[in-house]
Amino acid sequence: MPSRNRAGSLLAHEDTTENQSPNSNRRNMSLVSAHQLRFLCQPRKRHLHSHDTRFIRRKGNEGIMCSSNGGRREMERFRGERSNRRYYELLGVSAGSSLQEIKEAYRKLQKKHHPDIAGQKGHEYCLMLNEAYKVLMKEDLPNDHGSVRMPFGMQGSKPSFYSSWNGPLRSQALFVDENACIGCRECVYHARNTFVMDEDLGSARVKLQYGDDLQKLEVSVELCPVNCIHWVDLEELEILEFLAQPQPKDGYGVFGGGWERPPDVFSAAKSLIKELRHETAANNAHANPKEETPAQAQARQQESVEIKMESFSAIWKLLQVFGLKLGDTK
Amino acid sequence: MANPSYTVASDNETTADEKVSSPFPDLAIGIDIGTSQCSVAFWNGSRVELLRNTRNQQHMRSYVTFKDEIPASGVSNQLSQEHEMLSGAAIFNMKRLIGRVDTDPIVHASKNLPFLVQTLDIGVRPFIAALVGNVWRSTTPEEALAIFLVELRAMAEIQLKRPIRNVILTVPAAFSRFQLTRIERVCAMAGLHVLRLMPEPTAVALLYAQQQQQNVHDNMGRGNEKTALIFNMGAGYCDVAVTATAGGISQIKALAGITLGGEDLLSNTLLHLLPESRNFFCSGHGIHEIHIMGILRMATQDAINRLSFQNSVQIDIDLGNGVKICKVLERKEFEWVNLKVFEKCENLIKQCLHDAKVYVEDVNDVILVGGCSYIPRIRSLVTGICKRQEVYPGINPLEAAVCGAALEGAVASGISDPFGNLDLLTIQATPLGIGIRTEGDIFVPIILKGATIPARRELTFTTVHDNQTEALILVYEGEGRKVGKTHLIGHFKLIGIPSANKGVPEINICMDIDVSNVLRVLAGIKMPDVQWPVCPLMEVRMPTVDDGHGWCEEALNRTYGSKLDLVTLQKKTHM
Repeated sequence: MPSRNRAGSLLAHEDTTENQSPNSNRRNMSLVSAHQLRFLCQPRKRHLHSHDTRFIRRKGNEGIMCSSNGGRREMERFRGERSNRRYYELLGVSAGSSLQEIKEAYRKLQKKHHPDIAGQKGHEYCLMLNEAYKVLMKEDLPNDHGSVRMPFGMQGSKPSFYSSWNGPLRSQALFVDENACIGCRECVYHARNTFVMDEDLGSARVKLQYGDDLQKLEVSVELCPVNCIHWVDLEELEILEFLAQPQPKDGYGVFGGGWERPPDVFSAAKSLIKELRHETAANNAHANPKEETPAQAQARQQESVEIKMESFSAIWKLLQVFGLKLGDTK
Repeated sequence: MANPSYTVASDNETTADEKVSSPFPDLAIGIDIGTSQCSVAFWNGSRVELLRNTRNQQHMRSYVTFKDEIPASGVSNQLSQEHEMLSGAAIFNMKRLIGRVDTDPIVHASKNLPFLVQTLDIGVRPFIAALVGNVWRSTTPEEALAIFLVELRAMAEIQLKRPIRNVILTVPAAFSRFQLTRIERVCAMAGLHVLRLMPEPTAVALLYAQQQQQNVHDNMGRGNEKTALIFNMGAGYCDVAVTATAGGISQIKALAGITLGGEDLLSNTLLHLLPESRNFFCSGHGIHEIHIMGILRMATQDAINRLSFQNSVQIDIDLGNGVKICKVLERKEFEWVNLKVFEKCENLIKQCLHDAKVYVEDVNDVILVGGCSYIPRIRSLVTGICKRQEVYPGINPLEAAVCGAALEGAVASGISDPFGNLDLLTIQATPLGIGIRTEGDIFVPIILKGATIPARRELTFTTVHDNQTEALILVYEGEGRKVGKTHLIGHFKLIGIPSANKGVPEINICMDIDVSNVLRVLAGIKMPDVQWPVCPLMEVRMPTVDDGHGWCEEALNRTYGSKLDLVTLQKKTHM
């Protein structure tokens, strides 16, 4: 597994550092340079690149995608998708972690590995931590703390947890509460174009909204023995489908770990919508000062004055022309 | 042929020291050498303690007197200080002069000090001398500081009853890398090994982190992240830092500094009181002129100090020869005279907040330290920008930096405290970007401003001319798009590039800053179809420039021009 490889090479780095005698600083220094040599010599980035794209593509089918939210900049997102996964692993946090969690994990690791504490051998590790932190905190903007990163900006890559649409968008959509689903397959038999069985998870899911005609859909909803198929509003659908994806759970040594989804998707969705609204409102309130440096503000001010002057001079010219014309007619 | 291992070993002044000192892990003490005052602190096992000199002072004036055969410093003798300042035998303000060339405006401003500062305005180090007997005896800021540090060290060794080797020094954020190496050299001259050079506000940030940590312990609560703005203005330098603190970790979000301080306030006020003092020393550096200058400085200093507590101050100076200054100086007048200084402070704070991407509303605490923090205008200015009434009360403005340095000394020496008082960490950030010059004098930063230390980043460049086999790597530090606004800190030549069309060879430049702020630059050459570098890599420890670095850049330009230039290889640019 590529991921294992990354972690492995990381450990290898650490091992080599520890094997060397740590009491001589001079030696350590040359060691650092040896590391650097390796960094430079290996066509590291390219190698990594090919690995990671493959990795993400495969994972993408399972729908555990993580990226910077909201498609802020195309370039950034592209890079983010490529390597974020590795960074999350390094920091030991799950892919959907909040900024606060990332921060705490980063600080916890820094306390262990910072060269002030761990000595020179912490240098390499710390470099990686810093890079991971920098990338993952790209959205470390004020009032953003604790928000969940939503992969909404990436319908383009079509992870299969999201349903697609047959025909025009409608206000209502179907959603299967996979926690309640017992995997009876009734719905899949009756509307095979709409529903699909996830054999791994043992539950049904909507693959294509309105894939069959309305009557068939009604029947399958009725037939569900545990009434786990719901008609939901369009705006809720996306959030529900996002939340229905199993997320990796924090592990504590050999305990815990694995995957989980919220026990009650609907209430989780409600609170998430609220949070998102709050956040966008807060962001909007702050949108302007964030973008401008004082210098830019000044430049803009000057610009606007110039523009005003320009329009003024245009009017002036117009007047002059008219004046001339008037003079002519006289 | 340049040989990498040779290049690395060439300028390592401190490596040998490190090797000797590491086997016995002794506790590093913190030293804050200020432009005007200096103090020493250490971790005594349960808390930070400040050392006192034989005169029971915690803050010692930073000056060195050249009187007899053996120079004396402000550590031990204090009584005759006033007299000596008037006699021209005392050298002070070393920190403002260190590592500067004689074209620097700061050096020119220092010509009014009551000792000899001579400039030739050609970009070499200024000539500094103290008057001993009737002889101008030359010295350097480095030497004066080293003499001072030797006495500090002797004092600490007597009191702590053990040899002192490792120190943590606080430095202004505005120091260039060249100046930092000068400070390291000073310490080496004094027999001290610098474990870390900490920018002053980050030392304060560490102290703040410890206090927050203690508060959390006391309240048995879970610590939330707190953001603090630290404004430090001493006699010579002014620095600002924004720090995020949680669980004893102080993470520096932005750091900025300029050369601006009480010394500027003093000289502005002096000019205001006696406009002809600007050209005072033009006629010559006689004993009489030095005497007058000394009196003027002391009287002005005293007036500024008193203006911090009262609204107006009566100044009566008798300069002899029937010249007298009798004036009432209002606080408003003082503020008006120094309007530019305060404006610069304001801009610095705003810039720092902007760099940190922090809104003033999100700043939890505002910390004011340094001697100038007593000036009412400075207080109102900082509180005004941060939109609050009060500044953080728990920090002594004069002791904060040295206490922080002592804490870092204990942490970096690997000492742990059973009560968790040393469960601390400071995560530093670079105050300036570091990069190289490319075609058209463009400065391409490789390590960006505000990068977390340790930092490493690499960029790929390529040749500008066909069949270019050599490349000149000029390393600069600073901000801006053109190299004109930045400092040259090092240069080396990369040879052995295979001849090829321009844009084909890939020249990989990697910069690495370790936690003691040592900068290494690595350069390697790669051809597109070859997997391994075509010749041995170069590893260069920066800075490589020396005292004549004012000339260096010009000479390089004159000799090489753009013949050996590089340009960024856009498609290969990695983060």
